[in-house]
Amino acid sequence: MGASSCKKYLDVNTNPNAATSSTPDLVLPQAIVYTAAQVSSFNDYGSRTVGYSVNAGGYGGFGSVWTYDYATSEMNGLWNTTYDVLEDFQYVITSTQGSTTYAYYNAAARIMKAYNFQLLVDEYNNIPYTKALQGSNAVVPTYDNGKDIYPALANQIDSALALINGNPLALNLTAATDPLFGGNMTLWKQFANTIKLRLIIRGTGATTFANNTFDPAGFLTTDAIVNPGYAKASGQQNPSWNTWVTGYTNSAGARSYIPGEFAFGYYNGAKLTDPARGNAIYYNFPNTPINQMGIGTVSVPNAPATAGAWYAATPATIPAVGALGNNIGVMKGYNMGEPLMLAAESYFLQAEANVRGIVAGTAQTNFLNGIKASFAYLYTLPNGSTQTGYNAAADAATYQTANAGSYLVNFSLALTTAQKTEAIITQKYIALNFIHGHEAWNEYRRTKYPVSSGITTNNPYGSMASVLSSSTRPDKLPTRVQYPASEYSYNASNVPSGISVFSSLIFWAQ
Amino acid sequence: MHMKKKMHMRKIVSSLLAGILCFVIGVSAQVRTVTGKVTDDNGKPIAGVTVKVKGTTKVAVSDDAGVYKIAAADNATLVFSTVGFSNMEAKATKTSGLNVSLHTFSNPLDEVVVTAAGTNVKRKEQGYNSSTIKSGELVAAKPTNIGSGLAGKVPGLLVSATGGGVNPNYRLILRGQRSLLGNNQALIVMDNVIVPSAMLGNVNPEDIEDITVLNGAGAVALYGSDASNGALIITTKKGRKGVNQIKVSNTTTLEHTAFLPKTQNQFGQGGNGYGVDPNGNPIGSNIENQAYGPRFNGQLQAIGAPLADGSQFMSTYSYHDDWKRFWNTGVTNQSDFSLTSGDDISTLFFSGQYVNVTGTTPGDQFNRASVRLNGTRKISSKISSSYSIYYIQNRYDITSQTATMYNNMINIPTNIPILQFKDWQNNKFANPNGFENPWYQNPYFTKDNYRQLTRNDYLNGALSLNYAPTHWLDFTWKTGFTTQNSETKSWVGKFIYTDYAKAASGGSKTDIPGSVTENPSNNAQITSDFQIRLNKKVKDFNFSGILAASLRQNTSFTSTSSVSGLVVAGLYNLSNSLNYPTTSSATTETRQNAVYGEFKASYKNYLYFHATGRNDWVSVLDPNNRSFFYPAADLSFIATEAFKSLKDIKGLDYLKLRGGVSKVGNVNIGAYSLLPTFGQANGYPYNGVAGYTVGNQIVANGLKPEFTTGWEAGADLSLFKGFADANVTIYNTHTTNQTVPVSISSATGYGTYLFNTGETSNAGVETKLSLTPIRSRNWTVTTGISYTHNNNQVISINSQLASLAIGGNSYAIPGQAFPVILGTDYARDPQGHVIVDPITGLPNVNPNNVNLGNASVKDILAVDANITFKSFHLYALFEYRGGNVIYNSQGPSEDWAGSSIRTVQYNRQRFVFPNSVYMDASGKYVANKTVLIQNGNGNDGFWTDQVHNMGITSNYVTSGAFWKLRQLSIAYDLPTALLRKTKAIKGATISLQGRNLFVWLPKSNIYTDPEYSSNDGSNNGNGIGVTGLSSPPSRYYGGTITLTF
Repeated sequence: MGASSCKKYLDVNTNPNAATSSTPDLVLPQAIVYTAAQVSSFNDYGSRTVGYSVNAGGYGGFGSVWTYDYATSEMNGLWNTTYDVLEDFQYVITSTQGSTTYAYYNAAARIMKAYNFQLLVDEYNNIPYTKALQGSNAVVPTYDNGKDIYPALANQIDSALALINGNPLALNLTAATDPLFGGNMTLWKQFANTIKLRLIIRGTGATTFANNTFDPAGFLTTDAIVNPGYAKASGQQNPSWNTWVTGYTNSAGARSYIPGEFAFGYYNGAKLTDPARGNAIYYNFPNTPINQMGIGTVSVPNAPATAGAWYAATPATIPAVGALGNNIGVMKGYNMGEPLMLAAESYFLQAEANVRGIVAGTAQTNFLNGIKASFAYLYTLPNGSTQTGYNAAADAATYQTANAGSYLVNFSLALTTAQKTEAIITQKYIALNFIHGHEAWNEYRRTKYPVSSGITTNNPYGSMASVLSSSTRPDKLPTRVQYPASEYSYNASNVPSGISVFSSLIFWAQ
Repeated sequence: MHMKKKMHMRKIVSSLLAGILCFVIGVSAQVRTVTGKVTDDNGKPIAGVTVKVKGTTKVAVSDDAGVYKIAAADNATLVFSTVGFSNMEAKATKTSGLNVSLHTFSNPLDEVVVTAAGTNVKRKEQGYNSSTIKSGELVAAKPTNIGSGLAGKVPGLLVSATGGGVNPNYRLILRGQRSLLGNNQALIVMDNVIVPSAMLGNVNPEDIEDITVLNGAGAVALYGSDASNGALIITTKKGRKGVNQIKVSNTTTLEHTAFLPKTQNQFGQGGNGYGVDPNGNPIGSNIENQAYGPRFNGQLQAIGAPLADGSQFMSTYSYHDDWKRFWNTGVTNQSDFSLTSGDDISTLFFSGQYVNVTGTTPGDQFNRASVRLNGTRKISSKISSSYSIYYIQNRYDITSQTATMYNNMINIPTNIPILQFKDWQNNKFANPNGFENPWYQNPYFTKDNYRQLTRNDYLNGALSLNYAPTHWLDFTWKTGFTTQNSETKSWVGKFIYTDYAKAASGGSKTDIPGSVTENPSNNAQITSDFQIRLNKKVKDFNFSGILAASLRQNTSFTSTSSVSGLVVAGLYNLSNSLNYPTTSSATTETRQNAVYGEFKASYKNYLYFHATGRNDWVSVLDPNNRSFFYPAADLSFIATEAFKSLKDIKGLDYLKLRGGVSKVGNVNIGAYSLLPTFGQANGYPYNGVAGYTVGNQIVANGLKPEFTTGWEAGADLSLFKGFADANVTIYNTHTTNQTVPVSISSATGYGTYLFNTGETSNAGVETKLSLTPIRSRNWTVTTGISYTHNNNQVISINSQLASLAIGGNSYAIPGQAFPVILGTDYARDPQGHVIVDPITGLPNVNPNNVNLGNASVKDILAVDANITFKSFHLYALFEYRGGNVIYNSQGPSEDWAGSSIRTVQYNRQRFVFPNSVYMDASGKYVANKTVLIQNGNGNDGFWTDQVHNMGITSNYVTSGAFWKLRQLSIAYDLPTALLRKTKAIKGATISLQGRNLFVWLPKSNIYTDPEYSSNDGSNNGNGIGVTGLSSPPSRYYGGTITLTF
């Protein structure tokens, strides 16, 4: 009696403040939105490296952004946060394992797991994979080789596709639980195929895949965009908009970067002529403030004060800060969705697959579709509709005509495999401008396209590299980032040592 | 027999001296008869006092009326001695009325001190080290915080200020840090009730009778699982029988910032980013925040961009020390009142204090008011009671941005006269729109626009009832409560820049939307103890024991609501926004039951054995692991009582030997830590849809309490009736099974892993020597020296973990001291020379983190002197600390800004990296004398280079040693003859006092007072050894008038 009342007296340890259990339908949507936020951070890093964005006037402290001599203390968020995202997907996979009811949840989580792990491999090469995400079962997870992880990710995709195809009666994902495709499993399959295609295209030659075939659902023909209902409220804005344009309280976003001349040259006629997309993307095109990375003199223009350099408008047409939004281009509005993969990327991947014989089809058709899809994405408003008066197909055709002499646009002029690949990757580079800078960076490191000369002096259109680069490579660019300092502190026995940001290569890189 | 021998000894000494002295006396002095009266402290005559003329054999003895008569030379020294009183000397300056008052000498071993569980014990019974600080010592320098009053006074106690500000925090650690990530601070017990350590900064120091510091866990084990860190047993003042007294005093203390970093005073704003002149020197800029511009030339120049009206601020291009003068002289006004009364039945102590502080940060204000009522009452011959109740309230009105302002000022080059930007509301150049610096705010604007208002109300009390039916048995019931009710409101004012200002600053000046955060919280603790005490005498043995049970409950509530984007400027309310406020809240409830017992046995008056045992049941652990038992035992042996041969040694008052062993359990986790949690994240909920993320902490199954086991041994010695007191203690503790939320690789999917792992040890020595070389009628001189050495070590963390991050750059590494500073360093050759690139001259960076030294203080040496001359009292306390390093985390910011003195060590020229080598073609390291670092200047030069300079931790690690004049006070008691005329005032004292007056630092430390090295500026972090910019340390001095009625 005494003992039991004493026990009762002490039984006050039930947490009244936070949930100690959850369900897959609560975790999956959050993890997808978390991935979107992560992609926005990856873009920031990639865009700096690949010449999309460069330092603006009036700011200093760019450090390794200028020299590329990355320290282990830098860009740790890419590592830490992606694994945190992955744990949420792992929770969904573990808690739905073997459940036919939750098969689609399991499949979606596997596809997203492959997507996120590819981000990590492309950034760090060898990483914990088989021993990762096991919590206390593997506190110091060992590393797997990037070239072994790629095929494993393709297998994840295959098992996800098998789950979707094998469980027609499973509980459907809904608009609430699936902020990516709203429960459309065909789109999930296309997304899965396209991720697998990206893995195979990037990995083939450096690793081998067990199964090089694709699900009949085909590849993405629409943009894979996450939108849980981004809103003008604390923590609820589209993450890219929130970073670069304005905060929800109308506070200014980052003004320390402006467009790089290397990328700008594909719009203003320096390399190609593309006023339509230039106008859609850049502030006050073609009089946008631009610079070359590493030039920090007083003459460098400042970022436009009101909405930054990627808010497409002329100064005269920019509304008051509080009314910004409902625009076209890259920064459309606080409520725009965050793309995880553009249809344009899907088409350019297919075009390259056609050229390399990985997938049957006509490269030129996919190439043209890719350009058209890029126009189409830029012309859409935050709500997904196309802005009145804008015609992607027509403007893509105009673009073809205006640059008819360049094999980078006029695919029929690209005769060799190298030229074809250069055309495809360069067009992909243009399509990904300030949307998925990391993907452009991956493709550059794999193919060395678009061509960047490494001559940084007085050559802003010819080289994406910083004038203050410490890189010893011919292109004056780095090859990767360092593993985060936390790995050297907490997982020192496994983290590879002797990583050089100028010579250590991702397994698929040149 | 004893007496006689002593006199004999004295005779020998005297005759030795006589030979020397009588020579002098013989020629110069005239012999005459001197008379006077000898009394005790209470004015009662003492008979039989031996009076001797120093240096002679002349002796006289006082009569029953205390009167003596002796022939002595003019100005001869008389020595008065008798049993039970300390010796006293007096100069024969007059022939009659040479009255002396002798002080009672009591054997310190018979002194009664309060120890665990509210027990009173005599010092001779204690088998462990303890020190008692009396009221006078504690408040001599008029601290408003008890912690600062204890610094340097207790061997084994490390008191560290953890931040400046209007009510600075102090962190109190006994015998070194033992818990890796848990609490290491000493337990605070006030009138036998455990109170939160926040009380140290809030309780009125004037209310304190004494503080007994129990250094080791063994002595405190009865207090339960919080006792592993030692304890401060605070006893507050009680009324005394037959004493009716009213005391009032007023203290005014001034506070100056001190120990500011050393900065360069030669270069102003600009840098090579703006171009170089024909000589290759950088060009100035009127807006740059970095001081890499040209050398000062004293000419008038434009500062900042022209304003919209075309006006331009101008100033001489020269060094201004405004960044130092920005800080105000803080003023603390402290008024005290107390009333003491008592008779045979009851006693009463009533006190009040009001402290009003203006800080060194302009605009910072703090006040604190407290009242206390302590009383005792005998209800019958067998029942007695005591009670205390006190209420404290404090109010802060401060800026939340002191650290930011400090950092901003480092980033405002010294050619800018900051003091001229005070009036930002009216001065167009000081207004944010017109302020010269686009990136760093005018600090005068910052302080007004970022405010934090805090209200803390504490109501604490205790009640005790004692029933003693017979002489061998009594029952005690005690209950105590402490409550805190708080509210913090922080706000940021809304500021909309003009379009002109935005454009002129290139968009760097961006609107401040304004925000409000409200954080109400309360917490309460209730304790209840029931004790049965027994004692029994059997022949030479004396037995006593306690059987007791206790309950403790802690509850807390806290909530934080904030909203950003204010609509109406100047209105700071959660409803004043276009946005919805975000809010979160948490409640906790924890309980602890315990039964404990104490057994004491003594043999005759020289052997004392003491043992305790306690079993705890705690609510925060799993039911299977929530019960745990721990014992402790100690032994005290008074050698001078046990052995006659020792007792007979002349001048040996006593010798005590002691030793103890103990084990204390401790639960270092809070409520609800056993299960991982899920929370909404990434903007969820959106439109009525929820989304959860997996929490980042995993928890091992079956968490257990951690245990500290240890032993201590020591000796206490007193010589020549208290002429010399010495004690020495050695100790050794091991803390095992620590409950540690270890940071783990993110690749696990989690950030931290809470599990039982890790062992630390502490071993050390605590010594103290007090001397009273002079005790005469007019003079008393006491001096003390104490030395503490603590050696702590991390024995293990976990087989898989090479290190554990404690906070900042502070880490635990097995086999190393705890903590150490871990950070980046340059690549070095085997001799330790920095390896540089043979072409660029830039140092290579070691990719691995390096142990840069021990961060915990190893040695503490304190020297104090207490001198009384007639009515003057002087007290001085010096303290040395050393054996540790600190990471000065503000260093990189100072280099970045170009303000640090480091950046001018090569005169802003290209330079050879000192003490460096490079690898030659044959692969050998050769001394580098020639390869220059090309850019020893500039906005993007070496000093601002993140990779090669700012990011290298070792550049900013310096010795943590210092000598400090902690306290100096002089008090003067006004003559009573003068006061008698007032017919009301019984006593009056005027005093002057200073704290933290001077610090002496090694040359390498160009930054700040290393005592302020708590990393996060809080008391709770164990990641010591990292200084920051929380606010500059201060020096205090002031005066007090005290009147007694």
